[in-house]
Amino acid sequence: MTWWRRLAGRSRLEIELDAELRDHMARLAADHERAGLTPDEARRLARLSFGGADPIKEACRDVRGTRWLEDIVRDLRLAVRALSASRSFTTIALLVLALSIGASTAIFSVVDAVVLQALPFDEADRLVAIGETSLKRNNMGVVAPQNFLDWKARQDVFTDMAAVAWGGLTLKAQDGQEPETLFGRQVTASFFTVLRTPPIIGRLFTVDNEVDGNARVALISYGLWQRRFGGALDVIGKPLPGQRGDVEIVGVMPRGFSYPVGARDVTDVWMPLVIPPDGRVRGHNYAYYLDVIARLRDGISIERAQARLDQIEAGMAVETPSWFEDRGVRVESMHTFVTGYARTWMLLLLGAVGCVLLIAIVNLATLTLVRATSRGRELGIRSALGASRWDLARGLLIESLVLSLAGAGLGVVVAWAGVDILRSAMPAAIPRVANIAISFRVLSATIVTALVTGLACGLAPVLQFSRRTPAPSLHERGRANTAGAERQRLRTILVTTEVALAVILLVGSGLFLTSFARVAAVDLGLDAHDVLTLRIRPLVGPRELQGALQQNRARLTEVLDRVRTIPGVQVASVLDGGLPFRGDLKTADLSIPGRTLPPAFQEIDRNQISPDYFKALHVPLRQGRLFADSDHDGGEPVVIFNDEAARALFPNENAIGQIVNLDGPRRIVGIVGNIRHGGPESDLRREAFVPLAQSRVLGGTLVVRTSQPLSAVLPSIKAAIWTQFPDLALPDISTLDHYLDSMTAQRRVSMLLIGMFGLLGLCIAAVGIYGVMAYVVTQRTQEIGIRMALGAVPATILWSVLQRASRQLLGGLALGLAGAWWLGGLVGDFLFRVGPHDALVYLGATGVLAVVGLLAALLPARRAAGINPIITLRSE
Amino acid sequence: MKSPRSDIPQGTLDLLILRVVALGPIHGYAIAQRLQQVSRDVLQVQQGSLYPALHRLENKNLLVAEWGPSDTGRDAKFYRLTARGRAQLKTETASWSRLTEAIGLVLRDPAAGDQS
Repeated sequence: MTWWRRLAGRSRLEIELDAELRDHMARLAADHERAGLTPDEARRLARLSFGGADPIKEACRDVRGTRWLEDIVRDLRLAVRALSASRSFTTIALLVLALSIGASTAIFSVVDAVVLQALPFDEADRLVAIGETSLKRNNMGVVAPQNFLDWKARQDVFTDMAAVAWGGLTLKAQDGQEPETLFGRQVTASFFTVLRTPPIIGRLFTVDNEVDGNARVALISYGLWQRRFGGALDVIGKPLPGQRGDVEIVGVMPRGFSYPVGARDVTDVWMPLVIPPDGRVRGHNYAYYLDVIARLRDGISIERAQARLDQIEAGMAVETPSWFEDRGVRVESMHTFVTGYARTWMLLLLGAVGCVLLIAIVNLATLTLVRATSRGRELGIRSALGASRWDLARGLLIESLVLSLAGAGLGVVVAWAGVDILRSAMPAAIPRVANIAISFRVLSATIVTALVTGLACGLAPVLQFSRRTPAPSLHERGRANTAGAERQRLRTILVTTEVALAVILLVGSGLFLTSFARVAAVDLGLDAHDVLTLRIRPLVGPRELQGALQQNRARLTEVLDRVRTIPGVQVASVLDGGLPFRGDLKTADLSIPGRTLPPAFQEIDRNQISPDYFKALHVPLRQGRLFADSDHDGGEPVVIFNDEAARALFPNENAIGQIVNLDGPRRIVGIVGNIRHGGPESDLRREAFVPLAQSRVLGGTLVVRTSQPLSAVLPSIKAAIWTQFPDLALPDISTLDHYLDSMTAQRRVSMLLIGMFGLLGLCIAAVGIYGVMAYVVTQRTQEIGIRMALGAVPATILWSVLQRASRQLLGGLALGLAGAWWLGGLVGDFLFRVGPHDALVYLGATGVLAVVGLLAALLPARRAAGINPIITLRSE
Repeated sequence: MKSPRSDIPQGTLDLLILRVVALGPIHGYAIAQRLQQVSRDVLQVQQGSLYPALHRLENKNLLVAEWGPSDTGRDAKFYRLTARGRAQLKTETASWSRLTEAIGLVLRDPAAGDQS
């Protein structure tokens, strides 16, 4: 019989065992009777010589080999019974576990998806990204095509190198659908061999496609294939109706293939990268726009590749020195390239939630310990009745495991709800956000966490109990005695740890809350509410360029005139340059007649705007005047500077009236307030504003202040645009608020999460303090009763309990502050205008914890003070 | 008291049970009786060892048991050997003989028995 069948047929086996032994005894008695005894005597003698049937049965059960399982089942049942008996303990423990394990699971699922998971390519650890760096800043930047071509031609450390550029594909309006822009990338043919991913149907494009005229081919994503072509196999050779002509589909990439990896905007088309002729020679066209990836040759390390490229770069610098001032090259693993930005932040969140989990575990250990001590009598009785130490220890451990696993179960539910919220709250720049899910890996980690928690919490009372003999615990009449010094010490250590961890979390929360408050308080220089922005980016082929430059300004102005008349539009303006909070800039060369500017000042952000732009954004005029309708091609060329530009370029004189060269000489007529272009945390930039009527533009961004909701005005605005730019796709429609939100998203998520963790840590620690103090008071009820009978007043009792609590609090606070001080240095980069050792934050955290801790102790203390000595003493 | 009794050496009870059961289906009580009789009352097996041993052998698939009518009119649990049990009995008997023979040789060694 297999052991599980023996287990399943347990009750039948028991009946048979009983019958077999009975049969034996009957035969024994019958033999005695035959030997001449009376039936009664025979039976008695048989019973005597047979001995007890139960030990035999036990021995027979032992040999079944299912004993351990039966024991565990019984222990489980006992554990559930014991847990449901102490309802308040179980409720608190489950709540603490559900929240802390839930939070950890949710955060871990984010960290796992964003940082830990390997990239979905064959031998992904051999993939690297190569970027250009500014030696001063040592950042990982985009690459100029000239450099990519030279590296590729001269290197011998990679099997191949590939370049990737942004490249969407805008499809014509079809069948009543609005025109649609697909996210795409332009890639060299080597891209697919570097990533080692062939198409599932069709073919790759080749180097021959990387020239103008042959480049109208595309590989499409599995998603697009399903969505637009219903997964039809004859899709190969079919055209995608691009606005600048059809693009032939040559292949479909496999499901799950994505590059950029895990971007929120799913890439749907990959087309050949065509490097224009002026990108192949080292002239004056410095355009940096390529991402470069490569696969390391076998046996070549990243360091070796880096050294080789440094060498090549040095050679290139000798040939054309002007190209390599302050330029370097950097090779890093593709995994780092994809996750690098998010890694430290993710580790920070993981650390914070780990802290919560640790508090929860310590808290649970404390409560379990307290509970076990007050159950000393029960355990003593069980031990006196023959339970071995192993039996008791196993019981305690199983109880604790049942609790932690049940808590983890609830925690997974919490995490499941939280993960969706987290996913949508993540800043757009975080990679692989779409992959965030409670995966098998995450679940395994949760289960391991729960098991470790259960073992850790169960272990404390087990260690303590197994050292005791049953007699003293029977002697200890449940509550009358005060606990032994050793147990008190362990409890104190646990509570102190809990408080210390909570202080660290609270300080962290304080730092992040303060940072967020400071960010929110930054004067952005404009009013981002109720501002709608639409990017008008007409596609212009090289041959149409001259015509477009002559016509598009008038068309933009016409659109503007139409938009102005739409009800709900307050101010309409147009901008070609850098839209605030959008992360894009346009710069232009600047010089001042009769002066030599330092190199850094020879460039300025240039924005071409319609006169109402400042009015639309509520940007204040500081000096001079704004643009008027008279500032057009016929009038004097004018420019408006922002404060920062005026202050930097004309530090000791009035900027108004000065002449600067910015696309020809222009007179400064006004100075406006600064805009925090890159969001609240960015530095101020030097900005120049030029009237649209004195510029040549191809397109721009409509910036409209509205008095009605977006949905009310948007259709009319779109219609107005389409009168002038028919068939134009409008993928970039958003409110300025939204762009601002995404700039502060990371800070907001940090603040919310770490703030929440701080609160959670605080609550759990308070529960711990309350639990321990309540226990202490219960244990000392008799002592307190005696004291009061002898004349102690309630205030003294209250004070003595509080004193004891504050000793534990003080130890924890001191330890926690030291820990926070030490850890603070690590989060400095994530803070904004608050030092990692900000005194106010530390004071605040200490104060909050001290108050909450004392309040938690006050409840049991008041109960102690309310003890009636007569009742207490009588009850003994 | 009758003749002196010996406790059954560790590990040999299984062998003895297998031997007795090999003669044909037999219930627990009869096994104990038989062991006692055949050993002329030297070997006494206690119920506390017999039944766990029987169950252990059953769990190891060396024995199978069946309930069937017995001389008393009540059903009893009859044990018999399985093919595996028979093979086990054979190897264990052989190794037991080898062992006792070897032990006997050592005990009879004249060089070692001088002193007595």
